[in-house]
Amino acid sequence: MTNHCCGPGYASPAEAMRAPREKLLYTIAIYTGTGIQKPDYLCTIDVDPESSTYSQVISRLQMPGIGDELHHMGWNACSSCHGDASMERKYLIVPGVRSTNLHIVDCATDPRNPTLFKVIDGAEIKTRTNLSAPHTVHCLGSDIIISMLGDAQGNAPGGYLQLNKEFEIVGRWENSMGSIKFGYDFWYQPRHNVMVSSEWAAPNTFMPGFDLEEVGHLKYGREIHFWDFEKKEPKQTFYLGEDGLLPLEVRFHHNPDSSHGFVGAALSANIIHWWKDAAGDWQWEKIVDVGNEPHPEWPIPIPGVISVILLSMDDTHLYLCNWLHGDIRQYDISDPHNATLTGQVWMGGLLGRAPEVNGVKVTGGPQMIQLSLDGKRLYVTTSLFSTWDNQFYPEIRTNGGCMLMVNCDTENGGMEIDPRFVVDFGKEPNGPSRCHETRYPGGDCTSDIWV
Amino acid sequence: MTSFTITLANQGGAAFDVDHRKPLLQSLREQGVDLPYGCKYGGCITCAAKIISGKVSQKAQRALNNRQINNGYIILCVARPMSDCTLEVGVECHDKLYRNPFLDPLAAHELKADIATPLEAKK
Repeated sequence: MTNHCCGPGYASPAEAMRAPREKLLYTIAIYTGTGIQKPDYLCTIDVDPESSTYSQVISRLQMPGIGDELHHMGWNACSSCHGDASMERKYLIVPGVRSTNLHIVDCATDPRNPTLFKVIDGAEIKTRTNLSAPHTVHCLGSDIIISMLGDAQGNAPGGYLQLNKEFEIVGRWENSMGSIKFGYDFWYQPRHNVMVSSEWAAPNTFMPGFDLEEVGHLKYGREIHFWDFEKKEPKQTFYLGEDGLLPLEVRFHHNPDSSHGFVGAALSANIIHWWKDAAGDWQWEKIVDVGNEPHPEWPIPIPGVISVILLSMDDTHLYLCNWLHGDIRQYDISDPHNATLTGQVWMGGLLGRAPEVNGVKVTGGPQMIQLSLDGKRLYVTTSLFSTWDNQFYPEIRTNGGCMLMVNCDTENGGMEIDPRFVVDFGKEPNGPSRCHETRYPGGDCTSDIWV
Repeated sequence: MTSFTITLANQGGAAFDVDHRKPLLQSLREQGVDLPYGCKYGGCITCAAKIISGKVSQKAQRALNNRQINNGYIILCVARPMSDCTLEVGVECHDKLYRNPFLDPLAAHELKADIATPLEAKK
């Protein structure tokens, strides 16, 4: 039954899946680290197949200054505010990882031409909260919290910045960081009074690029943390060890009653699954292990580097990207203890399996993904982070990134790159840029949480 | 104030007088030089430049490993000049800044300062 009450989002994941098809995407594109002295920007992309500008960037909103490194972003409101008629999914909070600036973008007044509503200056955030390097944005009912990966000098572990719905700084959200060493992504599941957070590294460690040797010196994360969400403090930590090097994207089931969740360990190229057992204790296990692949010219095999994972809205499928190998995988996780590989496509990557797709040379590998609410269209971008791009895919400076779309068979499993869709960021008006995270105006599979 | 002359070798040899107390990024931007930057606290490498001659103090930088320092890189947002300097700036000088870590590992003495093993300490 459709809920007529009011607020943004959907009454349930099942209702979200019945929402109208997405017609626009918002995707960030960067010039930071590329040599082009222009601001990073938010692109609006036409994904309505009936439109004459299908598969094109139709507007670009430049940030006020250079050097932000736009990366991840989030809505001011999601299905967690569905019962609140005073809320509206209107603003994207678009942080700059390097600058710490938070850009509040009005996407609702004219969805095809978003405008800058407000900027919270990074210097003010650093001064008032001793935090820097914003990453994940989630709304919590009306307020918003953002994982901040460093203190004001770029040292770990940082903390969480809380904004109110007027986008004013409330302060630090957490009451304690406990013994957490690093921050990165987080997701909360309020019916279990839990938030799970993962670990990348200190900004001073990951921002300049990836020194593999620093992993052995414990400069990168290998733990995940279970928080008492109401008390706003960490309660339990799982040491994942060699199975969990660089645990990045955290995804709980969308079903708010479920305790199952997943994290992708980027460097170990594993998927870690957790759940609450019958005794009420949290457990974890490894359910996917992507093997290293030999490179034709390199002395050592290459790890997949799982840069992102995502769950379909009905929690039946998990998607992951191996950014260095160049493949996206679809797993059936109807039984979350047993992931079954059901689909795989290739684009870019270092193994040379698909250097060109839909007439565009793919520089980089599949990196950020966003899935349509109905689970059938997966939009993919290729840039990870400017300094890391520069190390592994230096040609991206002249080629730029690209966006592709993958059609996903949710009935029988399987994936296929759509031959009609490609956005070549190498041809942007100010020169080659790099595309990263995507959001849909009507919500998407990594925005919406049910309380 | 003590001032030094900063010459930008890859910008036609343009020269600027700068205050020795201010970070080079700030001094050069105030004089109209269009330079890349990011964090402004010495942690992110976006503003890295290469020093061809001269000396700077960059104690606050946390971004560079010892190999990058040995290759002449400095972090303009925190580096202060200690003499006249000639620099190369922008991504055009980043030829040795980035490396593929799987192909080109760092030796123990080439890591960042806080975890590097000094060469003389090696057996």
